[in-house]
Amino acid sequence: MKLSFPYMGPTIVYAKLLELLGHDIVMPPRPNQEVIDLGVKYSPEFACFPFKVITGTYLKLMEEDVDTFVTSGGHGPCRAGYYGEAHKRILADLGYDVEMIIIDAPSDDYKYFYNILKKLKGNNSWIKVLQTINIVYKMAQALDELERKVEILRAYNKNSKFNKIWMDIEKNFYKIKNLSDVKNLKAKYIDKLSEFNNTIPAEKERYRIGIVGEIFVVLEKSINYQIEEKVNYFGFETERSQYLSEWIKENIIPFAGRDLEKIANKGREFIEINIGGHARENIGHILDFKERGFDGIIHLKPFACLPELISQSVADSISEKYDIPILTISIDEQTADANILTRIEAFLDMIREKRYREVV
Amino acid sequence: MENLYLGVDIGSVSINIVALDKNNELMFKLYERNSGNPIDVVKNGLKQFKKKINFDKYRMGGVGVTGSGRQLIAYVLGADTVKNEITAHARAATYYYPDVGTIFEIGGQDSKLIIVEDGLAVDFAMNTVCAAGTGSFLDHQAERLGIPIEEFGGLALEAERDVRIAGRCTVFAESDMISKQQYGFTKPEIIKGLSEALVRNYMNNLVRNRVLKEKYIFQGGVAANAGIKAAFEEELDAEIIVPEYYDVMGAVGIAMLARRDILRNKIKTGFRGFEITTEEFKTRSFQCGECANNCEVIEVIADEKIIAVTGDRCGKWTASLEDRVRMDLNRRDASSNLQKNQSKHKSENDIYKNNEDKEKIVRQELEELERSEEISGIKK
Repeated sequence: MKLSFPYMGPTIVYAKLLELLGHDIVMPPRPNQEVIDLGVKYSPEFACFPFKVITGTYLKLMEEDVDTFVTSGGHGPCRAGYYGEAHKRILADLGYDVEMIIIDAPSDDYKYFYNILKKLKGNNSWIKVLQTINIVYKMAQALDELERKVEILRAYNKNSKFNKIWMDIEKNFYKIKNLSDVKNLKAKYIDKLSEFNNTIPAEKERYRIGIVGEIFVVLEKSINYQIEEKVNYFGFETERSQYLSEWIKENIIPFAGRDLEKIANKGREFIEINIGGHARENIGHILDFKERGFDGIIHLKPFACLPELISQSVADSISEKYDIPILTISIDEQTADANILTRIEAFLDMIREKRYREVV
Repeated sequence: MENLYLGVDIGSVSINIVALDKNNELMFKLYERNSGNPIDVVKNGLKQFKKKINFDKYRMGGVGVTGSGRQLIAYVLGADTVKNEITAHARAATYYYPDVGTIFEIGGQDSKLIIVEDGLAVDFAMNTVCAAGTGSFLDHQAERLGIPIEEFGGLALEAERDVRIAGRCTVFAESDMISKQQYGFTKPEIIKGLSEALVRNYMNNLVRNRVLKEKYIFQGGVAANAGIKAAFEEELDAEIIVPEYYDVMGAVGIAMLARRDILRNKIKTGFRGFEITTEEFKTRSFQCGECANNCEVIEVIADEKIIAVTGDRCGKWTASLEDRVRMDLNRRDASSNLQKNQSKHKSENDIYKNNEDKEKIVRQELEELERSEEISGIKK
């Protein structure tokens, strides 16, 4: 069984999980023009952008004789729940026979989840599986904690310096074997990043932008045109609505705290019924960011994403009622870098001028 | 000596150059079609500028560049301020009309809506997926009807009847136009229909559910078109103001922003001088391929000498340029013979060669550092 999975965010986390369980894995390629072109060619035209990118990733991996994919499922009206099945059929039409292991939240169907787990467990004991999940979860947490720091510090330093540190972090975390490795690496990089703490200016000179939107385009830099780096470049800190460790905690780890649910409940004011995806969560996050004193929101929406289209249309009324600027950016393979840069720069200029004026 | 501030707007269809004096009076204005080589157009523009201005009385105070082609030209000119066109347009409009409420800006391939409150941009929108509703749409249709674009707008006012043209897409608009022509509608009527279609697109795609407030300013190249202006006035049932320098407002705005930055930060301009009109500029790009990011690295070369590197996310190539510039400067100080220097530069310019040895050393140092850090980390 040769395993692979879609490329999204800190992909080393899933790679590590499967690797530590003793599977033969192939690291998927980071989405680039070639992968996107492949995906666009073989996906239905009206499918959402993440679907197309994942199609491209799978097809590219066919060159490496991968026969099994592990991917996430989902429930509710969002089409992401059908991704696995649809991809399987697209690949079958092209003559590739692959197995899809679709991970749904255990709360959806305990039995199914147990069977999937058994498949992935292989010959390992259950204790080993739990240990592995623990290591990987701690690793995801460490990565997320470091990335949050990078997202703040990069705003006040040269982008390239922190991009390089982040690349080092990803590279070195991929080498970990056990919990103490995770601890040591985390401590090392926290120390390294703390050296730059003095570059953060006084509280009233800090600008913060919250980034919300569909999970794939929010997490995956190569798809969202490195939006965080662009915002940081103009001297604005960023924080995302989604971090992988939080997603794991909410969806996979049983009985863990449900902080995100509280945030999502704030979104009820604008979206009363569950429309799938992260629409209501995102509205909740916008309100949460506002309460925490953020200066603006960038909302990322894959072209043809239904839930985010709805959250875009309520964004206007949130913006007006809670006085927070929101910029929605629609992302697909047609988007040009220069165009995104212009929008972001104008948006950030607007926020800066506004604050400047209020102080004067 | 009085300072002049140069504003350059590199649009997709036109390139505009203006110069403002310290009182924001327009001293020089140039509107040129972008023929596909912006550097040449800017060079010619600078030649004209140099001829027209008396440089015994004036000197260059600052340079600002805006527009979709701003990055490259900013390197060529040594610009002090490089900003997007939305901010630039808002700046110029609010300067001339402090009580403006809504700015419509329609250029060659972008259309923008800027909402202003108390002289401050508070909201904006820009066309997203489609060029219907921009100048290129009109350009294309004018060509199809065989009418010069300059006369195009005026003709719409001669229309006697209304005709609705499908304006969702430039290509489909064309097929609709052909069929409407066969029904016997005249050219002015078709043009009027097109103007209305453009405004309808603009309203649907950009304005959407926003509430627009007086006063309305209409700028950008398309503001020259009387038919569009009339269509806007009919749609909004209000007066639309077209500023005197409607076609170069982006350049005016960026010149003002450059002046503000220079004064606020108390810096000297980085303008590279008028010699650039004789220099030869080139760009080249390559894919780095050293990691999964696969950055597209772009180099700007002036007279065989690399003046800028951009696009690398880890800073590897940018840093190598900075090192080289430092080396060049040292050498320039050491030797007064410029001619000799330049030939030396040439041999130094092969960045692939240049980096190999240095990189090895850096990599070794990093590895050693990492090893020692790892050891100390475990001890901790």
